[in-house]
Amino acid sequence: MFRRCRNMVVTERTKMANVSEPLQVPGHEESHPDFLQHHFDTPAQQFGAAKLGMWVFIATEILMFGGLFCAYAIWRGQDPKVFDEAHHFLNKILGASNTIVLLFSSLTAALAVRSSQVGKRNLTSFYLVVTIACACIFLVIKYFEYSHKFHLGLLPGHCFGHPGLSAAIQNGEEVGTCLRMDVNSASVMPEWVRAVDEEGHVTLLSPRANMFFGLYFVMTGLHGLHVVIGMSILLWVLYKNVKGSFSPAYFTPVDLGALYWHLVDLVWIYLFPLLYLVGKPE
Amino acid sequence: MAVVDIPVAGGAVGHAADEHGDPHANYLKAKSGIGSWMYTLDHKRIGLMYLTMVSIAFLVGGIFALLVRLELFTRGKTIVDAETYNRFFTLHGAVMVFLFIIPSVPAALGNFFLPIMIGAKDVAFPRINMLSFYIYLVGVAIILTSIVMGSVDTGWTFYTPYSVQTANSVISMTFGVFVLGFSSILTGLNFLVTVHTMRAPGVRFARMPLFVWGMYATALIQVLATPVLAITLLLLIAERFFGIGIFDPKLGGDPVLFQHFFWFYSHPAVYIMIVPGMAIVSELIATFSRRAIFGQFAIAMSSIGLAVLGFLVWGHHLFTAGMSEFATMVFSALTFLVAIPSGVKVFNWTATMYKGSILWASPMLYAMAFIFLFTIGGLTGLFLGTLSVDVHLTDTYFVVAHFHYVMMGGTVIAFLGGLLYWWPKMTGKMHDERKAKIGFWFVFVGFNAVFIPQFIMGSRGMPRRYYDYLPQFQPFHQASTIGSWILATGLFITAYTLLEALWKGKKAPRNPWNSAGYEWMTDTPPPLANFHAAPVYTRGPYDYHLATPEELATGPDGREIGYKDGHVSALPEHGRH
Amino acid sequence: MAADLPHTMEPADSGASASTGADAHGAVHVHIASSRFYVGIFAALICLTIATVKVSYYDFGAANIVLALVIATMKASLVAAFFMHLRHDNLFNTIAFLAAFVFLGIFILLTYDDTGYRGQVDNDYGGKIDPRTGQGAAGGEPATSATADSVAAEKAPGAVVGKKE
Repeated sequence: MFRRCRNMVVTERTKMANVSEPLQVPGHEESHPDFLQHHFDTPAQQFGAAKLGMWVFIATEILMFGGLFCAYAIWRGQDPKVFDEAHHFLNKILGASNTIVLLFSSLTAALAVRSSQVGKRNLTSFYLVVTIACACIFLVIKYFEYSHKFHLGLLPGHCFGHPGLSAAIQNGEEVGTCLRMDVNSASVMPEWVRAVDEEGHVTLLSPRANMFFGLYFVMTGLHGLHVVIGMSILLWVLYKNVKGSFSPAYFTPVDLGALYWHLVDLVWIYLFPLLYLVGKPE
Repeated sequence: MAVVDIPVAGGAVGHAADEHGDPHANYLKAKSGIGSWMYTLDHKRIGLMYLTMVSIAFLVGGIFALLVRLELFTRGKTIVDAETYNRFFTLHGAVMVFLFIIPSVPAALGNFFLPIMIGAKDVAFPRINMLSFYIYLVGVAIILTSIVMGSVDTGWTFYTPYSVQTANSVISMTFGVFVLGFSSILTGLNFLVTVHTMRAPGVRFARMPLFVWGMYATALIQVLATPVLAITLLLLIAERFFGIGIFDPKLGGDPVLFQHFFWFYSHPAVYIMIVPGMAIVSELIATFSRRAIFGQFAIAMSSIGLAVLGFLVWGHHLFTAGMSEFATMVFSALTFLVAIPSGVKVFNWTATMYKGSILWASPMLYAMAFIFLFTIGGLTGLFLGTLSVDVHLTDTYFVVAHFHYVMMGGTVIAFLGGLLYWWPKMTGKMHDERKAKIGFWFVFVGFNAVFIPQFIMGSRGMPRRYYDYLPQFQPFHQASTIGSWILATGLFITAYTLLEALWKGKKAPRNPWNSAGYEWMTDTPPPLANFHAAPVYTRGPYDYHLATPEELATGPDGREIGYKDGHVSALPEHGRH
Repeated sequence: MAADLPHTMEPADSGASASTGADAHGAVHVHIASSRFYVGIFAALICLTIATVKVSYYDFGAANIVLALVIATMKASLVAAFFMHLRHDNLFNTIAFLAAFVFLGIFILLTYDDTGYRGQVDNDYGGKIDPRTGQGAAGGEPATSATADSVAAEKAPGAVVGKKE
């Protein structure tokens, strides 16, 4: 097993093992290009290290989001009915649109990296701009989704059951201003209420659906934050590309920026079905 | 057999100093001025800055500990009221765990020595290294703000539902911890990539120094576990802020779920604390027994084993919290499994010492204390892993004594030993061994005096985190408090010894302990670029039978063998076969 | 022992160098796919998205979530292998990526061991009935009828009186 591990990541210095090197002298172009940092021996070593570092970072992000998926899994297992009903209040069409937008942006990000690898600077800029534009579209669609929820009162925690919710109730029952449980009282959970979902069906909405929406907002909110961060990173990469910092010999930041963007897409690939699609169809 | 291959006389080493400073100059002198420290990218300087900060954190956490013990000297109120007492033990725990012990060995000693021990010039990402230090400072600032703003009395574990309902500054403190988590993740990420991509020729994984193996295993845990802490604290903050209900049964949530989330990080975190300590002990025992470490590969694998198995056992903190019986049985069985790698290490260390040539310098005393104290701590952990016994011992002083034996009797003792061992290498000054040994005995006696009474009263039912107690526990508490004063004295003596060396210590030779370790082959203190010529290793770090007499010699001065006046000369070949 | 040197080094041309993407001068060389290939992967992803949305309109019971996750994993694998270049990269990068899922799986599985089995008390360890008197034994929880039933059931098929623990 160790033989394989040893060959998996090669230390570039071994290539020059036969000659013990003096320390790198900065400024020698062929042996020491400008982008090569002083503690690395070769560009390949630097690139390999950067990629591995990025993948380890991606692993940490997966575990962070994973905690939320764990909460989702546990909760859903305990209260499947609530999840089945509540998820109807999410708009599948908007969700699917967001998915397609993100997948397309992933494509353009990969194409941006490819352009950089072959040295086409302007094409790289173009693809980066398209990727960032897709991110903006994603956020706009998200904004519409969120504002619709606010209007309906489908908010997490304390805020669940805003007056707007009563407007969605068809049988005339008054829900009251807020369904928040008084933490000092030991009262029983109120009854399920009837409400109209996104597809116009009347459905039963438990006050415990605030758990679903709590999870929904935390998960999509954290994901949205990562979209914004990803956009910033890609903007910075775009700036550096326009300045001419990249070449077929050095395109690492484009590669790493795109990797971060693909991670954002990966998380959404799992969020979309679990939040929007899985439940009893009407 | 040479350990370091050096080009023939006149090799191109005389190149000009660049903006980073002269790579051949002593790293402490290469650049001066406060800016050179604040903007440094040198892993050695970053390690020293971390060392300074964690020492301050240890002092602060220690003061809280002394206050806690002082309050418990008599029943009822001794110096403060109950609410303040709750804050004291919470802050003692939070400061010690998050500000001191988790960064201590990896960020201070690991940062300094990991690149040197694999023959690299620096870590893979020096700027991220610097960033991780600044993130640490930000986290410290947020926690200090939280303390000033009213602090937290939930215990360092922030259990729900109390942490959701209490009026104190939970959000700011948990946010501070959240920020510190990123510092830890970045350090771990850096170490992982450095070990994979920057090992010098000859440093195969199987031949890597055990300290590096320990740092590698720790980095694995840091990278995989800390993100879950991040999300746990975010959920707690969201719970407090929005009342989402994930941990609130009235809203359909589950408070035990918080404990699962919290301990999924915090149990591997204790392995982040102990594995580096064990890594130091491996180095100490090999050097001070002047023998190759017995079962080097087994010890290396046991570090990885601890890292992996440590992720499977977090439920043993939840045995009485309301988990299902099935889960308690699963976790209890897995907990017994995780004791095995530690046992492998203790056996191998003991076997290393057999027929070795032991030098009883102060670091070796600490290594011996580690084995003794960690064994006690580890064995008492087995008591706690046994379900039927844990029902009686959980949340008593028995648990408190157990984890102090492993964390303090383990990690802190190893940390002190490592500091004394590597102080000459880091600072270029020799400390006074006599004072160090006196300090050691105060620490050892004081430590046992604090915690043995706690084992006894815990087994007799004294609960932890209690402000007041029954009369029969008074003698134990008093003994424990007096022990804390002895322990504090020892720690101050040791700190004084180390600091005194900076001003009054003699200049350290290259290899004062006659070690075969890789880090002792370079200058004392190391040059800015760690070596004068890129090293190539043809023997292992514990191969005393392969090292030349030159390499093992104390050295007439602090310089790397064969380096003199800016020239590197060929190393005379002396075999020892 | 200079003669030993070459043997302790990794060979200059190990197979791994191809995946690291290095040449003799240590410059970076990576596998570059064609634009068409990327568009093809995108098309596959769109098909899978359409599939997962269409499937959500039918009820397969418990298989709903399994199906959704399977399709999502297929999409994620395409993105990771081709858009993120894992297919042509160092194997260790893939290991790092998958390791995150393994540990996440451990987290979810062992937490489910708790939440999925709450309230299920092991009758043998719960209420113990003294076989001689048929009453609850001293210590432990009070005997429940469920425990009495299980003890009776053990006795019924000719079991030895006074069951061994």
